[in-house]
Amino acid sequence: MEGHQRNLYLYDRLNARVAGVSRDQVATLKYWTEEMGLTFPIFSNPIGHLGIWFGTLEEGYPMFSRKTVIIDKWGVIRYMQAGSPDFREILTLLKQLHEEETKR
Amino acid sequence: MNPALSRRFTFRPLIAVYAVLLLASCAPAANGVADPLTNLRQADGTVAWQQEYRFEPPPAPWQLIDLDEDDYSIAFMKICSDSYPCQSTLAYAEEPFGYSLDFEERQAEFFRRFLWASRVVFEPPKLSKVKVFGQDGLEAVTVGTEPVLRHKVRCKILFARRGERVVAFYFTQWRSEEKPFDTADEADFDRFAESFGFLQPSFYERLFPPAP
Repeated sequence: MEGHQRNLYLYDRLNARVAGVSRDQVATLKYWTEEMGLTFPIFSNPIGHLGIWFGTLEEGYPMFSRKTVIIDKWGVIRYMQAGSPDFREILTLLKQLHEEETKR
Repeated sequence: MNPALSRRFTFRPLIAVYAVLLLASCAPAANGVADPLTNLRQADGTVAWQQEYRFEPPPAPWQLIDLDEDDYSIAFMKICSDSYPCQSTLAYAEEPFGYSLDFEERQAEFFRRFLWASRVVFEPPKLSKVKVFGQDGLEAVTVGTEPVLRHKVRCKILFARRGERVVAFYFTQWRSEEKPFDTADEADFDRFAESFGFLQPSFYERLFPPAP
């Protein structure tokens, strides 16, 4: 999350927005985001259906596993990567998507 | 000659050569410690690191400790046995804690996270404007204390700019509360930071080339 916060100005430049999803309650996320100084939205999804959609809800494990998903402006998933985010890969793809968009 | 005897004569020299090779691979350097940066040293004594950085490594007994190739950060550590704790660390970080591109805001964000797991309480840092890489930078010096274990840590952080991003050099020195800090290690850090340079534009500079 810190890496995304650090790159927010670059996401803006590429016309991209970032949001996080967690199974924690709103109150927990509010405290945590303030503590971390995060300014982008973190959605609370205790039921976990977003985790089912994106394949990050492992059976018997109460939290989402980490995954980065990039969705283009037409709602098409263009990138899914489990584990810690690879910011260079993410920024490179966002730049490519931005160039595609501006060419249309 | 008996074929079995012939095979035995053939293998004996081979086994001897193999044993010599094994022993040779265990041989230490002349000073007893192999220098992991040997192959990276340039004629001027600096080290070229991952085709990205050039710097003058601190002298022994500083040891390279961080080979994390994802963020290109690099760190050296020096341990002493005068007391406990007795260690210094110097590092270059491409992605220092915090988010802001403004140095003053960044240092405040930085110290909220730096050494967080060590439960250190920092004094307000003394800030000085400095030049790093020929550009404006910010030096933050502070001492943190760990009140339960009665340890203290001196920190000197140099915030600098690489392109539009903020990068940083870290120096930390841990001592027990009653022991004085050793300024010689900090001088090694200063030399390391002064010698540091870039061999190519950063990933961010390549992704967003500056306007001509």
